[in-house]
Amino acid sequence: MAKTITEAQKQEKIAALHEKRDALSLLLRDAKRTHERDSLIAKIETIDEKIKKVRTGEILTRQEKRNLVAYSFIAPNFIGFAIFTLGPIIFAFVLAFMRWDGNSPMKFVGLKNFIDMIGNARFHSSFVNTIVYCIATVPLTLASALGLAVVLNQKIKGRNFFRTVGFFPYVASLVAVAAVWNMLFSPQKSGPVNMILYNLGVHAKSLPKWSADPHWVMFTIVLFSVWKNMGYYMVIYLAGLQGINAELYEAAGLDGCNSWQRFRYITWPQLQPTTFFVTIILTINCFKVYDIVYMLAGGSNGIVSSQAMVLVYHIYEEAFRNWNLGYSSAVAMVLFLMVLAITLVQFRGEKKYAN
Amino acid sequence: MKKRALSLAIACTMAVTALAGCSGGSKETTAATTEGTKAETKAAETTASAGGQTTLKWSVWDISSTTYYQPLIDAFEKAHPDVKIEMVDLGSTDYQTVLATELTGSGSDFDVVTVKDVPGYMTLVNKGVLEPLDSYIDSSKVDLAQYKGLTDQIKVENKLYELPFRNDFWVMFYNKDIFDKAGVAYPTNDMTFEQYDKLARSLTVDTPGQEVYGAHYHTWRSAVQLFGVLDGKNTIVDGKYDFLKPYYDMVLKEQEDGVCQDYATLKTSGLHYSGAFAQGNIAMMNMGTWFISTLMDKIRTGEYTDCKNWGIVKYPHAEGVEPGSTLATITSLAIPANAPHKDLAWEFINFASGKDGAEILASTGTIPAVMNSTVADLVSSADGFPKADGTSVEALNTAKLYLEMPVNAKSSEIETVLNEAHDAIMTGSMTADDGIAQMNEKISAILGK
Amino acid sequence: MKVKSTNNKISRSLLYVVLLILTAAMLVPFAWMLSASLKLDKDVFIFPIRWIPQNPRWMNYIDIWTKIPLMTFVGNTVKITLIVTFLQILTSSFAAYAFAKLKFKYKDTLFMAYIATIAVPWQVYMVPQFMMMRNFGLNDSHLAIIFLQAFSAFGVFMMRQFYQGIPDELCEAARIDGMSEYQIYSKIMLPLSKPALSTLTIFTFVNTWNDFLGPLIYLKTESKKTLQLGLKMFISQYSSEYGLIMAASVLSLIPVLIVFLSLQKYFVEGIAATGVKG
Repeated sequence: MAKTITEAQKQEKIAALHEKRDALSLLLRDAKRTHERDSLIAKIETIDEKIKKVRTGEILTRQEKRNLVAYSFIAPNFIGFAIFTLGPIIFAFVLAFMRWDGNSPMKFVGLKNFIDMIGNARFHSSFVNTIVYCIATVPLTLASALGLAVVLNQKIKGRNFFRTVGFFPYVASLVAVAAVWNMLFSPQKSGPVNMILYNLGVHAKSLPKWSADPHWVMFTIVLFSVWKNMGYYMVIYLAGLQGINAELYEAAGLDGCNSWQRFRYITWPQLQPTTFFVTIILTINCFKVYDIVYMLAGGSNGIVSSQAMVLVYHIYEEAFRNWNLGYSSAVAMVLFLMVLAITLVQFRGEKKYAN
Repeated sequence: MKKRALSLAIACTMAVTALAGCSGGSKETTAATTEGTKAETKAAETTASAGGQTTLKWSVWDISSTTYYQPLIDAFEKAHPDVKIEMVDLGSTDYQTVLATELTGSGSDFDVVTVKDVPGYMTLVNKGVLEPLDSYIDSSKVDLAQYKGLTDQIKVENKLYELPFRNDFWVMFYNKDIFDKAGVAYPTNDMTFEQYDKLARSLTVDTPGQEVYGAHYHTWRSAVQLFGVLDGKNTIVDGKYDFLKPYYDMVLKEQEDGVCQDYATLKTSGLHYSGAFAQGNIAMMNMGTWFISTLMDKIRTGEYTDCKNWGIVKYPHAEGVEPGSTLATITSLAIPANAPHKDLAWEFINFASGKDGAEILASTGTIPAVMNSTVADLVSSADGFPKADGTSVEALNTAKLYLEMPVNAKSSEIETVLNEAHDAIMTGSMTADDGIAQMNEKISAILGK
Repeated sequence: MKVKSTNNKISRSLLYVVLLILTAAMLVPFAWMLSASLKLDKDVFIFPIRWIPQNPRWMNYIDIWTKIPLMTFVGNTVKITLIVTFLQILTSSFAAYAFAKLKFKYKDTLFMAYIATIAVPWQVYMVPQFMMMRNFGLNDSHLAIIFLQAFSAFGVFMMRQFYQGIPDELCEAARIDGMSEYQIYSKIMLPLSKPALSTLTIFTFVNTWNDFLGPLIYLKTESKKTLQLGLKMFISQYSSEYGLIMAASVLSLIPVLIVFLSLQKYFVEGIAATGVKG
């Protein structure tokens, strides 16, 4: 029916739309705030599209068609993602305001879970430790990954071999490498690393006990995680370096730039998008750290001391040892908000950079 | 250069396509097999309802290394030809986590579940996913006296949700060769802690490269803390822990003097207690009876060569307490609240936890929950047990058993605090006094909640 | 000129020295792993470390195949990993194209949904997810693991970042030539993004291959279990058999290494030869 509208009806519709458009234009003239103006302009544009649609008699506007094409690209991934990840996550967030053990009926408790958190000593230490871990790990990993990538991007002999070696710790099974690491950093005075320190003149009594030492455990964890994950970010950086136009370097070479200047004025700025990506992923992964802490500081009996507790470990403990699913979701929400804040700040930064 | 890159690109595309074809194919097969299994299960259900076989699903861990599951099942299936028991292995390390997840919600179809420890038991009871067994016990007229009071310790608000079938208890393992070499007499079944400490010190050798440790404590808190509850005056869930002080002092002193290995080192190196004992430089080690069957097995296969001559004695005791009081770790069977075949599940539990089950367990060298002289004889006559040694046989008779962790609604939270404090004290990041003060404070807070 | 070349030589050799030290630091743990895999259990933790075992115990490598059904585990892991990697690469590069190069309604909202979920640790929604999968009848099936891993937000995010680095002019020109978006994706973007694709392949492969908690919760039948579960089973059942554990670890490393080595070529030659330079 809709297709067989008469010319008169068509004109009527167009006239009605024009009327709306004029009203909006009047509003636009008076609007002062930018975001108000923006939204009005958007509305006017939609009406323009509609007018065009009626005039030409097409079913879909060009923008609608474009939307559909875009959605068809996203759909295969998004459907799976929405069902298997997004859905459960939203459910988990609702849980943050509930009390639930997985079996008895859910009970709405409002903000009680968040209030409990404030009084929980384990939450406090895990919160502080997570921040400390992030602040130490992110820049260290970033710097070493970038350094390694820049070096391994040059034409040197055995480049592939070195690259593989750099990536090796990342692919290795955590259980195995953590065991080895704990052997090397044995708390005994005769541990290999301690022996080296001793021979370098460190007093036998002040030798650290590494992961068994409350003052050194975080340091050990950070060191291990830089070692283990550096290769991963190195690979991302390598891919980024490959994308830099070689002509830039050639030009710089003609201008007589030294290696530091080349790095400072070409490599670093050209790598900004990669650095942004790496920083986000790295920060998020740092906030989500769990298994490294468990394997290193948990030792053989899985007891993580309050100097090494991190947020996700706290979440895991509350969810699966005590089955406080509501409380653990609330902690997760805090974690999520922290990461989100960082991501948004970096997102802004990226947009600014892009402009 | 460009040409090579192009050919590489083509190769890559081809590889991707090939991969796509191949994996797409295997995906279809997965779907097909899943369908197939579903159809089979359905078929099985129909036959079951038509009077054929009923399948009971039983959750366990470590099927391949546990020797008693199959004999138990065989014996039960023989008595009930229309029942089949299917074991599902949930793995041992995270068993309680996986089991609790599995029983969450209402979709689980387990008939019988094994419960590994008391905190895990309490988690399941608190979640309300276990069926109370009292009415079954009454109607089958089970005599709970045969469990020697164990079942009273696992009652929650006067209801029993599990029935123990294994009851491991702690004894002192020792390496006879070390005693012979040092010319020291073997330990006895009647040692006070003072005598034990002295004995351990007399065996210690601290020459580098030839160290002998008089004692060994595994990194579990039970290995040290629970010396304190054996006099029966205190429990580990009272909220007061000052009674632990002398035992921490003893062990910390031993650690300082090199009588036992450093806790921190043991923890980070992940040295397993069996590996430690097998190195042949440990004179005495307190450990649960589950180690007996491992030890016998490894010596039989020729893997452990440095601890072939071993024996066990009863736990040391505090002055004025009857020897033979020790810690118990029970393993039990329970029925989930929404199990499909509850009555049959009960029959299996009643069988496995009762006398018949006990004899089957004992003949594999495992200590069953029901212990009497016949059962004890079966254990000590197992192949590889030091039978000739009367002390070791006698050590299997216990006086009073205390659970490693008594039943309490807050068991798992208390456990966390105890573990953390134990770790802090043993690594030296806190003094014993401070650690005990921390336990007192935090656990009182938990209990007061 | 001469000064410069000597300088060059010095800095070059310095570079090698640094690299060699770094390499040694990287490799020591693996050397230990390898050496432990050839030892008797009781010799593994002996100090000082004896790097080359006196009597290498090659039996360790034979024993593991018989002690647990390792072949089945490897087969399952290979199957799951290949399917997940393939699905991940295909769907996320597809979606990322839209996010990077197309303008459409709710673009920012949808993308934020992806980004936001990256920040949520899996432990948080593991239980609701498990209950949902079980309702779909996916408990104890490989499909559960595949669905769990294949549609990760990470892949979309990463591919989008790479696509954004490709100039928009390339797409515009193609549109003017009358190509549809699908053609632009398959004829222009895909070939250009080989380095990114191989990077994503490596990461997905490694993650799926080494995943432990997922299979632990979902897979219960022995014939369906994966290699990492097998490793863990080993560690818990033969708790002190470090030699065997290390041998199994070494074996589990090999496939990941092969994938990395074979795809590494694309990193090196990838972008440089694909025409970004024009």
